[in-house]
Amino acid sequence: MTGAVSGRVDIRSGTGRIATGPVPGVLLILAAWEAGGRLLTEAFVLAAPSEVAAYLVQEWALMLRALGATLGNAAAGFAIGNLAAVALAGIALIWPRAERVVTGLALFVFCLPLVATGPILRVFFGPGAGPQIALAALAVYYTTLIPLLVGLRAAPDSWFDLVHSYGRGRLAALVHVRAMAALPYLFAGLQIAAPAAFLGAMVGEFTGAERGMGVLTIRAIRALDVEMTWALATVATAVSILAYLAIGSLARRILLEAPPVILAAPPAAGGHRSAAWVDGMLVLAVALGLWAGAIRVFDLNPFFAKGPGDVFTALVLAPDAADTRAAIGEALAETAVFLLPGYLAGLVAGAGLAVLLVLVPAVAGIAMPLAIALRSVPIVTTAPLVVLLLGRGATGTITLVAVMVFFPTFVACLQGLRQAPGQIMAVLDSYAAGPLTRLVRVRIPAMLPAFFASARMAVPASILAVTVVEWLATGSGIGSLMALSASLSDYDMLWSAVVLVAALSALGYGAVGWAERRVLARYAPEQIA
Amino acid sequence: MQPRISRRTLLGTGAATFGAGAAGLLRPRPAHAQTAVSLQLSWLHSAQFAGSYIALDRGWWFERGLEVSLLPGGPNAPVEPPVVAGSALVGISAADYTAAAVEQGAPFRILGVAMQKNPFVIASLPANPVNEPADLVGKRIGMALANTPVLQALCALNGVDIDGIEVVPTQYSAQPLLAGEVDCLLCWETDLPVAMAMQGVESLTMLMADFGYSVHSQTYIATDDSLANRRDALVALMAGEVRGWAAYREDTDAAAELTLAMHPDAGLDLETQKLQAARQVPLMFSDLTDANGFGWWTDDTVAANIETLGLLGRTVTPDLWDRSILEEVHGA
Repeated sequence: MTGAVSGRVDIRSGTGRIATGPVPGVLLILAAWEAGGRLLTEAFVLAAPSEVAAYLVQEWALMLRALGATLGNAAAGFAIGNLAAVALAGIALIWPRAERVVTGLALFVFCLPLVATGPILRVFFGPGAGPQIALAALAVYYTTLIPLLVGLRAAPDSWFDLVHSYGRGRLAALVHVRAMAALPYLFAGLQIAAPAAFLGAMVGEFTGAERGMGVLTIRAIRALDVEMTWALATVATAVSILAYLAIGSLARRILLEAPPVILAAPPAAGGHRSAAWVDGMLVLAVALGLWAGAIRVFDLNPFFAKGPGDVFTALVLAPDAADTRAAIGEALAETAVFLLPGYLAGLVAGAGLAVLLVLVPAVAGIAMPLAIALRSVPIVTTAPLVVLLLGRGATGTITLVAVMVFFPTFVACLQGLRQAPGQIMAVLDSYAAGPLTRLVRVRIPAMLPAFFASARMAVPASILAVTVVEWLATGSGIGSLMALSASLSDYDMLWSAVVLVAALSALGYGAVGWAERRVLARYAPEQIA
Repeated sequence: MQPRISRRTLLGTGAATFGAGAAGLLRPRPAHAQTAVSLQLSWLHSAQFAGSYIALDRGWWFERGLEVSLLPGGPNAPVEPPVVAGSALVGISAADYTAAAVEQGAPFRILGVAMQKNPFVIASLPANPVNEPADLVGKRIGMALANTPVLQALCALNGVDIDGIEVVPTQYSAQPLLAGEVDCLLCWETDLPVAMAMQGVESLTMLMADFGYSVHSQTYIATDDSLANRRDALVALMAGEVRGWAAYREDTDAAAELTLAMHPDAGLDLETQKLQAARQVPLMFSDLTDANGFGWWTDDTVAANIETLGLLGRTVTPDLWDRSILEEVHGA
């Protein structure tokens, strides 16, 4: 993450130097915002920075108490979620056969829509901060786990050979090679996790909380209090940006080594296909077992806790099964229209901006603050406002999905581009190769593992975004269907929708993974083995 | 729980409620052990539940041996699961949601009806008013698509052709009306019109309950099991509610002030809460409740509810309503 935030581009690899700091960019953004706010005063959608500042001066005590509550829960969830990710990565490393099962199960849990898990967590934890912390943890563990697994493999074979030649085992390899190689990836994951944890804690408050930023957000939107809404969005964004900067600065202090050259032999052909299917079935079996088991162990009431059998009945055996399937199918089709363009646009924008930043470092001054701000603004605060601004048609929803996908992709790709091995860059230096040649020959291939990891992670993230927007703002598609089912106590419908959404997420993830294997087999074979 | 809230209230409100708060603190504990129960509210803390806050603040539950926690709701907090699971003894629901839950197998009964008149209104601006259902024809109405059955029921009750109304799916906000995207909104009497009033925008509301839309709202629900085995707690809880809402009616401004004092972190605005508290009174109190007591219903009002619920696609029978707790409270 060298220099990502201060607008500098990695000096060690010799691509650029500081052009402009972030200050002019921030000022430009503020000026545009102020002008927009003044133009739209009568529309009740946008408050100018001056109005936000006035509100914050007046209500700082209330805002501080709310921030304290939400930040505390977000921090607890951040810690728990990331520790869980490290533990899961440890299991996958110690027992490589388990990796696909671990990541598969982790994916399933990550794909469970907030609309559905919130009320159940509330019943499970009772009053208090339980659901807020749990949703914050659920929002971060996966986006840390996946880059971490990539990072733990991002080391040259020769290093492992060195460890072995000293007669040391896998533990030494872990400590001296893998952990070091994984650190840049871990930090990238933590940076993505910071705003996600805050969002999770806010959504957790929607399940019934006494205080917090989420509570105030609902109040502000209902009361047509535009200054309060934007003040909340501003504070949440500022906190997320500070967390992002703090982690980035920590990373810069710790990560001093230039990335190594990774040369690995392509994996032996064949032998992996059948294992993938076996693992897939295993994931399915374990997931079903855990699902049914959890309902029994925690003695969850069958009125709202439906097991695998209930869902099978609702979707296949029940007299109204065809209606249920039709309702979910229709809602999913509605959602797909927003989801797919938003997902692709977010990926292209994220990778594109990262590449642009490396080619034209001067852009960083304005692009970085805007990029971080866009992603850190909690979607629950802005979704209703963005939909009001851009309309209830496709544009608003697609934009919000793209924003959610864009930032993790951007961060990961930027980090990936910087993983270009120093020695190879030195070789290109000696040939006086231009920036474009470096980009195409070295940086983009170096970026590919990170790009695909983020493309995979973006599948559940985009589904989260689209369901939240549909739930809170547009009232269409699968997000709205799930919210409506919960309010009408149609838990058969709700759980069926949850299962299908999770299954489709997993399929989408699998499809990206398939493309990834084909590409990485050529460019980064160490990731495939 | 109760003494702590009183203490907080004491710090927050100063002299006005000093006597009541201090009484709550200093009152000797009743001889019998306190029973801890929860009341699951249907939304975030606000004057919507101020009668309950009064009962809690003045120790009216405490003196009957109840230690009541008021659990806030929210946009992702359905009331039914905690009541079914037993983590809340009573929940604040509405007849249509309760009927839907019962259809799905929840063993619920309605114990009391806080909002005699359903709070749904059609809100419009004076320049282009909706005074009666027939005025809806040719208008654009902003509402959540999920509320389509509500509009259908209103049209059926008043012989209005729903195809003559253009439904614009909007989120729950007054903004589309103010921006001129729609001519009217389907909302509650006590939220979006209040928000508009606080922004200096005068609006008109047509209460759907005045045009045949009979759906009891803010209803108290409990399970059959609680009715059979926890009657004492239910009676004590409802007795506190009845007293609390009577005090609320006497001084809605004081109720709004108490709401803010007890929930300083809820981001509430005093003037908004006062207006909301006042606008809620005609929905909650009527000749029927004056004659029989807070929360009451008759066979006639139940029959009207069953008819409207039928139009909403819900089949219910009169035994969804169980008046035995209320009868005990009111000594009928």
